[in-house]
Amino acid sequence: MKNPFVGMERSLFWTLAFAAFAAAAAGLAARAVDRVAVGYEQARSNYAIVRVLAPDGPAGMAAAEAALAGAPHVTSAAPMTAGRAAALLGEASGETIDPATVPDLRLIEIELEATAPHVDVSGDIVAAMAAGGVTAEVIQAPDNASGGGLAPRVRNAAFWGALIFTAMMAVIVWLAARGLAARRREMVTVMCDLGATRGQTAGRIADEAAVLGLYSGAIGAAFAAVAGLIVMLLVIPGATLNSVVGMILPVDLVPVVATPLGAAIAAGAGARAAAGAFHAQAARIG
Amino acid sequence: MARPRASTETDLFERGVSVRLSNVDAGYGASTVLMGLDFEARAGEVNFITGPAAAGKTTFTHHLRLALPPRSGRSVILGLDVGRARARDIADVKRRIGYVAENPVFIEQWSTFDNVAMPLRMLGHKPRDYDHDVRELVDFVGLGGASELPVEKLSGAERRRAAIARALAAKPDLILADDPTAGMSPVDGRRIVRLLAEMRRVGASVVIASQDDTLTDVAPMWVWRIDRGRLSAPEQTEATGAEAYE
Repeated sequence: MKNPFVGMERSLFWTLAFAAFAAAAAGLAARAVDRVAVGYEQARSNYAIVRVLAPDGPAGMAAAEAALAGAPHVTSAAPMTAGRAAALLGEASGETIDPATVPDLRLIEIELEATAPHVDVSGDIVAAMAAGGVTAEVIQAPDNASGGGLAPRVRNAAFWGALIFTAMMAVIVWLAARGLAARRREMVTVMCDLGATRGQTAGRIADEAAVLGLYSGAIGAAFAAVAGLIVMLLVIPGATLNSVVGMILPVDLVPVVATPLGAAIAAGAGARAAAGAFHAQAARIG
Repeated sequence: MARPRASTETDLFERGVSVRLSNVDAGYGASTVLMGLDFEARAGEVNFITGPAAAGKTTFTHHLRLALPPRSGRSVILGLDVGRARARDIADVKRRIGYVAENPVFIEQWSTFDNVAMPLRMLGHKPRDYDHDVRELVDFVGLGGASELPVEKLSGAERRRAAIARALAAKPDLILADDPTAGMSPVDGRRIVRLLAEMRRVGASVVIASQDDTLTDVAPMWVWRIDRGRLSAPEQTEATGAEAYE
């Protein structure tokens, strides 16, 4: 039996593969944005600055460091040097700041462990420092209610954007698969004349389209995965192939795995609908 | 000679009546092409429908192959009352009809063999079960040398032979041929009609529509004349051509 795929629609195959590539790339991009946003949010919420109010002088800073060493929620603490302050101010303003011009800030940067939302982290730290004879205030990043929390909005936008884009690609695959059914119209007519039911005819064409969608989806997803690796190597400073591969979590591969299946389903559905309509036309000419 | 009729329309197929049309109208859109048809075809007989161009011959075969439902009257084809049948029942009966279209449709990239074997594949037969029979059939219609050629490479006459082979492959109860000799030499045309008519010997009911009424002496058959969508009463003929003595 001659393989019906021989000499088959290469242009259709690559159309489906390109749509699959775009969908998978959108999914991977959304996943990357999600991970960056989560990382940013963690860094933001796990960071705070302690401003030492009393006692004055170096003794006050030393007492504050000692108190922070035993304070709850604090994983590390380091006084902000003039150089560090100048660097942060320079980042924020875009200008070069001379560390010599930075006054004595009496600030300590601290990193915090993850805590439940209802825990009063600032209050616990201030209390612990007061027990050590230090008066201080803790400055944390604003929470969601105070206008912070851009990350969740970015994550939502990335998720829904990728989903809508993927849906559009699925529609393209669906329509392209209708083209396959049109090219198989002679087979639909023959099967109809020979007594195939609408379901049998549509199923035959849909199977062919689904296999085509699966293969082209796999190719498109593989290209998207390779493109993603290349982008990571280019964008992440000092990244190597091993380090980039090590950064990838299993959940990051969901778009790559889902794309061939989605392409197969969309292609099969498009071809089934079209073949069913063609069968109905062939079955009743009056 | 008057044609005997089955007494009732129930169990017609069991009593050898493959097709019975009673006062059937059929057509396309607003136009009614077939009007008040009364027709009967029996197993083991050949029925030849002849008439001028645009008389309704092709529409008649479309009706018999269940592609054109009756608008009024009653059509019973291979035991199925067409006007009241469900799509699945129609598909079941279509599998028992071998149809040779005026312009046969094939899966062009497939070989002649694969196209001819298509009805058997659709019935679920395995290639090892039908391979020998299909090759014999392809040889029988004179396409042995073109068995592995894609159908798109065949000439018009060869395509028609391939269509005949495909129509016969599943040993149908009813064989319909719409202008099967179009574009053929008279000798080839007679050979094709004779080939189709031979199927009556294995119990099939054969219905051939053709404008060429010189073919009616190829085999014993009932000849129906159609004009402007109306059928006249049939006449029975005997084989008087050279084939009658072969």
